[in-house]
Amino acid sequence: MAMDEIVDGLSEVSCDVLVIGGGTAGPMAALKAKMKNPKANVVLLEKANVKRSGAISMGMDGLNNAVIPGYATPEQYTKEITIANDGIVDQKAVYKYAQSCYGIIEELDSFGIRFLKNENGDYAVKKVHHIGTYVLPMPNGETVKKALYRQLRRARILISNRYMATRLLKSSDGRIAGAVSVNTRTAEMLVIKAKAVILCMGAAGRLGLPTSGYMFGTYENAANSGDGYAMAYHAGAALANLECFQINPLIKDYNGPACAYVAGPFGAYTANNEDRRFIECDYWSGQMMLEFYNELLSGKGPVFLQLKHLHDKTIEEIEHTLHKVERPTRGLFQEGRGVDYRKESIEMHISEIGFCSGHSASGVFVDDNARTTVPGLYAAGDMASVPHNYMLGAFTNGSFAGLDAMEFADNHDFGAIDAGEIALERERVMAPTKREDGIPPNQIEYKTRRLVNDYLQPPKVTRKYELGMRRLAEVREDMQERMIARNAHELLRALEVQSIMDCADMAAHASLFREESRWGLYHWRTDFPEKDNENWFCHTLLSKQDGRMTSEKRAVQPYVVPIADDEKDLYDKQRIRASA
Amino acid sequence: MSSPFESYDDLDDADERLGAADPAERRVAIIALGHSGDPAAVAHLAKMVADPDAGVRQQVAMALGEFDGPEAAEALVQLLVDPERIVAAAAADSLAEFKDPASADAILPLVKHAHAFVRTGALRALKELRRRDTLKPALEALQDPDAAVRVQAIGVIGFLKLEESIPALTALIGDPDAHVRRAAVSALAFSHMKIAAETITRALADSDWMVREMAAETLGLNANGAVAADPLMACLADEFWQVRLKAIRSLGRMKIVQAVRPIGHCITHEQANLRKEAAAALGEIAAPDGEPFLALVANDLDPDVRKNARWALHQIAASKARAGS
Amino acid sequence: MPLATYQTSVPVVVDDAKCIADKGCTVCVDVCPLDVLRISDMTGKAFMAYDECWYCMPCEADCPTGAVTVNIPYLLR
Ligand SMILES: Cc1cc2nc3c(=O)[nH]c(=O)nc-3n(C[C@H](O)[C@H](O)[C@H](O)COP(=O)(O)OP(=O)(O)OC[C@H]3O[C@@H](n4cnc5c(N)ncnc54)[C@H](O)[C@@H]3O)c2cc1C
Ligand code: SF4
Ligand code: SF4
Repeated sequence: MAMDEIVDGLSEVSCDVLVIGGGTAGPMAALKAKMKNPKANVVLLEKANVKRSGAISMGMDGLNNAVIPGYATPEQYTKEITIANDGIVDQKAVYKYAQSCYGIIEELDSFGIRFLKNENGDYAVKKVHHIGTYVLPMPNGETVKKALYRQLRRARILISNRYMATRLLKSSDGRIAGAVSVNTRTAEMLVIKAKAVILCMGAAGRLGLPTSGYMFGTYENAANSGDGYAMAYHAGAALANLECFQINPLIKDYNGPACAYVAGPFGAYTANNEDRRFIECDYWSGQMMLEFYNELLSGKGPVFLQLKHLHDKTIEEIEHTLHKVERPTRGLFQEGRGVDYRKESIEMHISEIGFCSGHSASGVFVDDNARTTVPGLYAAGDMASVPHNYMLGAFTNGSFAGLDAMEFADNHDFGAIDAGEIALERERVMAPTKREDGIPPNQIEYKTRRLVNDYLQPPKVTRKYELGMRRLAEVREDMQERMIARNAHELLRALEVQSIMDCADMAAHASLFREESRWGLYHWRTDFPEKDNENWFCHTLLSKQDGRMTSEKRAVQPYVVPIADDEKDLYDKQRIRASA
Repeated sequence: MSSPFESYDDLDDADERLGAADPAERRVAIIALGHSGDPAAVAHLAKMVADPDAGVRQQVAMALGEFDGPEAAEALVQLLVDPERIVAAAAADSLAEFKDPASADAILPLVKHAHAFVRTGALRALKELRRRDTLKPALEALQDPDAAVRVQAIGVIGFLKLEESIPALTALIGDPDAHVRRAAVSALAFSHMKIAAETITRALADSDWMVREMAAETLGLNANGAVAADPLMACLADEFWQVRLKAIRSLGRMKIVQAVRPIGHCITHEQANLRKEAAAALGEIAAPDGEPFLALVANDLDPDVRKNARWALHQIAASKARAGS
Repeated sequence: MPLATYQTSVPVVVDDAKCIADKGCTVCVDVCPLDVLRISDMTGKAFMAYDECWYCMPCEADCPTGAVTVNIPYLLR
């Protein structure tokens, strides 16, 4: 039978712990679960292929947030993350990460993952931020997935590649019971019963439309279409601070990072058209994006990453990283445009919007054990709410999730699954394949994402949001009634666009709920331009209650690392007002 | 429907597939064996190291990189001496991923191989294995006529962090090759011996700016780095701002109070990176006489400079408050 | 609604002379995160079947024979 031809079939398997998403957090979660109980069955389900899937498919420029003894302390890190997130942080999870991440680096090193070391074999940590020192480069790290994969094979994890999860299943007592998935090349469906489930499906990276107009020219790995967010939502889990969008400073058109964390330690910096630095904020945060946005619009744009003041030999070293790992086609792109870093700066821009706690704070709400609000359901990595956790956070929180989920599985039996629910999901999934005539997924997706850009991109205007939601609802109707998929590959895209639409709705709903401005550009509401600590110094949790999207406030948990007022002030002076 | 899980039975017909007449088919079989992760695959792969087709051997070298330990190392060592460079290079890359110290037995003899490429690859692999008995051969390799070999040998020695290797490392300060000198300076960082700090200090006057830069940076990490306070301050006049920058950082890290003035004089340099570093270092030292210099950049056009200056003033104020109470 | 097929230039090029898909290789098809590569029924060689590429490189990096070339998609070139 030819690939992509649709097969109508359904089968069922069961396991102790099911990990969905085999990018960064997922493999670590699966490995830790299996190490905790080697007799248990651990399934790692992946839409693509674990060997090269996810954000780190070609490695990473480096660890952005390594807390390494001698260079930074967990206390300092926790403070900085708290301040970078305007205080809206449950510190316990951040602190736990900061305490544990060094052990994870050592473990990754023992897997054969290559970090930059000096000639004493010590990690060559670099200073980028003006207080802590957190950056550990990985110029030869393109084999990171290979090394992880090797560990998974050794541990005999059950790997299911090319299965896309579509919905979670719960038993009548509200506990997690498993998931439904579909093979992306045959459309055959697979139900996986599980005692505990860990969601590691990455960012919602296909929410806004890149300015190039190319739908897959995203910052995030374009396979990350926000399925995890949508699935968690439909399972009744709470999602935190979704209005805190992700927007990144990227190489214009290429839409990949340049990246200040690589080139910064060598002396490169982001500059305006007068060749001058303008960014006050240290972190990739909403504040930094606001500064970027203002500069672009001020007449001092375009904005550039400036390298030409560096020595040839230094540029050579930077090129080695930029053109070999993470987004290796960066070199090809610049070559195509005739840009030589020695003579010309790299034109930068800010990206379309997305959800991603890895870079901001928008994710499925979790505690310091990666537990969501649904018993037995966990989340880690870019889609879970621990802010700014990046790659090392995905590994570390993935490890917490794996350990706790296995413990949960050891203490619980399978939840009962309602066959009716599976039948309904099968109907929903296959619906686009049953139609003879209609609109293909790429057009539904293009229109949805174009509307996201037109109406939801900050600055957020209430009136625009209301219009945008109406337009999106019209497209949703087309999607539900008229979308067609003529083969299994199109069905994959048709399912993805349904997640994208759910994320768009959540982005709009969450943004309208928080009636203040916070996190710089991420949540700049023109109708509520000021930060309002009195009413809004809280998380917002979005969830599905009685079939409807609802939002509520949740208090920020008491800090474990107190922050003195004068420390806050020091940072606050970095802040500029949205209207400036 | 077939199993939804990846198979773990990849070895079943391995020998038959590896014996295919078509080299392309053999390659495909090798890829599958590497992918299996099954330690039993190593024996099958090892049989292929003498395959007549270079592409096949290259594939074997890559596949063996999926494993670790003496058996895989044994096979890779045979590929590291392969006459085809693509094969040898793949073997070197694979060996560099090994972590099992027992792999060193197979690799050690190649440290004396006739070809520099092989010697370099062998030493590079030994580095991460950190085995004490690699010290002696690595020390001998410091005399190697090939600079790349010497650089890797320095790594092997440096990773072991043994004080007994310091005399040999310090001797490299006169090496004709700048890469070697730079590596040697970096390797001296761990040592508590006076001579190590003194040698790094000498490297502040190296003819190559990157060696000077490394020396300036390394002094900040070395236990006795403070003995070099004066020469580091002298470095603040280096013709390369990159060297000055690292010197400032090290002086700040070590909180050298006498350095406040010379650092302060750098705070108006045209290169913003340097102004920023100077402000940060004055904050780390946190001595009151840094204040007037910091005042000079209160309105600097570069926000990073202003930011670091604000932070530095805060540090100074905090230190004064501590002294007062 | 009737559908049209329309032309699009795809960023990934496979050198048929080097590709050994006909000998059983499926590496690039296996690793692609966007699942856009296929083996052609007609030629027995790999090709890009869908213009949905993240220009990420695993296909090129992992191809055993160096048959794959990734280019930047035209719209963002
Ligand atoms: C271009 C880029 C550069 C970056 N640079 C750095 C850096 O230099 N340093 C740093 O620390 N961090 C960096 N980051 C961030 C870091 O890579 C991420 O935070 C981290 O890798 C996220 O891990 P994750 O497991 O959450 O997501 P991913 O690794 O993206 O994994 C998600 C996985 O889920 C799978 N999936 C999605 N939907 C489904 C579904 N429905 N069913 C089954 N599987 C599914 C995907 O295929 C993917 O494999 C960068 C990110 C990007 C995109
Ligand atoms: S990986 Fe290379 S050889 Fe294999 S199928 Fe793809 S193009 Fe052909
Ligand atoms: S570049 Fe990436 S997305 Fe494009 S075909 Fe290759 S592996 Fe697939």
